[in-house]
Amino acid sequence: MSGLHQEGGNSNAWSVLSIRNVRKSYVDTQQNLYTAITDISVSIHRGDFYCLLGPSGCGKSTLLNLIAGFEDVTTGSIAFSTGDATSEVPISGPGVDRAMIFQDVNDSLFPWLDTEENVAFGPKLHGVSRAVYESQLLAYLKMVGLDRHSHKFPFELSGGMRQRVQIARALIMEPQMLLMDEPFAALDAITKRLLQRELIRIWRETHKTVVYVTHDIVEALLLGTRVAVMTAGPAARIKQEVSIDLKSPRDPTNADFVELTKRLEGLLDEEVKNSRGAEA
Amino acid sequence: MSKNATSTISGTAAGRSIGTKSAKGSVPAALRQVAMAVISVGSLLLVWHLMSKYVFNKVLIASPEETFSTAWEMLVNGELFRHVGVSLLRVVIGYFIGCFIGIFLGALIGRIRLVRELADPVLELIRPISPVAIVPLAMLWFGIGEMSKYFVILYATTIVMVLNTAAGVARAPLTRIRAARCLGANEYQVFIKVTFPSAIPFILTGMRVALGFSFMGIVAAELIGAREGIGFLIMNSRQLMNTEQLFVGLMSLGVVGAVLDRVFRYLLDRYTRRYMQFQREV
Repeated sequence: MSGLHQEGGNSNAWSVLSIRNVRKSYVDTQQNLYTAITDISVSIHRGDFYCLLGPSGCGKSTLLNLIAGFEDVTTGSIAFSTGDATSEVPISGPGVDRAMIFQDVNDSLFPWLDTEENVAFGPKLHGVSRAVYESQLLAYLKMVGLDRHSHKFPFELSGGMRQRVQIARALIMEPQMLLMDEPFAALDAITKRLLQRELIRIWRETHKTVVYVTHDIVEALLLGTRVAVMTAGPAARIKQEVSIDLKSPRDPTNADFVELTKRLEGLLDEEVKNSRGAEA
Repeated sequence: MSKNATSTISGTAAGRSIGTKSAKGSVPAALRQVAMAVISVGSLLLVWHLMSKYVFNKVLIASPEETFSTAWEMLVNGELFRHVGVSLLRVVIGYFIGCFIGIFLGALIGRIRLVRELADPVLELIRPISPVAIVPLAMLWFGIGEMSKYFVILYATTIVMVLNTAAGVARAPLTRIRAARCLGANEYQVFIKVTFPSAIPFILTGMRVALGFSFMGIVAAELIGAREGIGFLIMNSRQLMNTEQLFVGLMSLGVVGAVLDRVFRYLLDRYTRRYMQFQREV
């Protein structure tokens, strides 16, 4: 599927996504300036599973939207680089090298297309013939466990299955990064746990770089190689970055896991208290 | 029965009744539906008969028997077909052109913010002006020929289609559009492959509503100035004090309107299911 990568010219050489001094501000309807995030500097390495963890409304999704290119930074820069500063390729707008998986289980698929057509949307858009993409289509449908549901429409699928369709639809474009915005937050606990395990498997199989937004500490620790804890908004920053070096498969009852959970809980609790204090 | 009731009573809420499977479930359910229809129409005929026989003067209400025999005569001599055919042709021509223009303008209004902001106030002013109110103006501009009829229907259809298409296009979910952008769609592809298909349920619902409006418009136009058509038949009967024929006119309006609506729903169900079905769960 290499023919799909005309737009993302930076695709193969990069080793780091550098986010430098990023600030994002909005002007609201009363002409007030509202700063969602500020002073964000992060290096996401190729192959990372990078979790953005923070209280709700802290601007995690804002940062993810900036990386996706849906919105532009107010100040600062986001760029792919090979490691030295001269080689930077700034991102511009959305691209097939960065695929977003949305939380929304209702509006993110194309409801008039069945599973297979949803997954084939990208290749078809780029004029790739079925003969060329068919093997990938089948492989990715199988990878996400939907090979038996390929002719069902989204309304016939459960929330978990719809998120699987989203993942397959993104993977077939062979993106460099998967940007995941609380993708399992709308699902029931059992489905959520199942999909988390499958996501780890898919991440290992495909060697993708993942940026994953969540407000769930256990989820961040189950999945992430690094977890960035954000401060409460407005003007949210990255409070602390924690490398997660737990042995796999990760087990929430394991002593190291529990200790990390407590540590992150402590960090988040401070933020929740701070924001309550600000409101009162 | 509940299914049947929704499909008729919520006539304009097409989103709900289109798409839903027509009652082809078990045989007793289908039988029940037919039985209810027979009882319902039968009661109407009975009340009508009693009214005409015992309550009202014959000149005011033609009895069902007389109405049907007059209808039969008019069917045999071709007069009824001529009037219905003329009205239908007028509706078809105005309706299709109106749909085309309305969808095009509505898409522009829904897609381009500046156009929307400019068009909204005007649309708000035009919306309350019913197709019936446009008839005198159409007569003034185009006389009593075919053109004035087309114009009334064109007006009725275009207004509904502009409003519905614009609403549908403007409400295409941002998430879905962004998903397409991530897959590499440019602005044009996003519109053709995502925004417009997302608006199709709104557009089809509008088409069904517009068809109803077209019938109101055509009859009004024909009542005032025409030499044939259902509206003319009704008005002419009044002038001749031919109550039976007047009733035939009203009855044919009801029958033609109901049949067309059925046909429309059937076509939607058959050809546009993939665009409508996701509405079921909403």
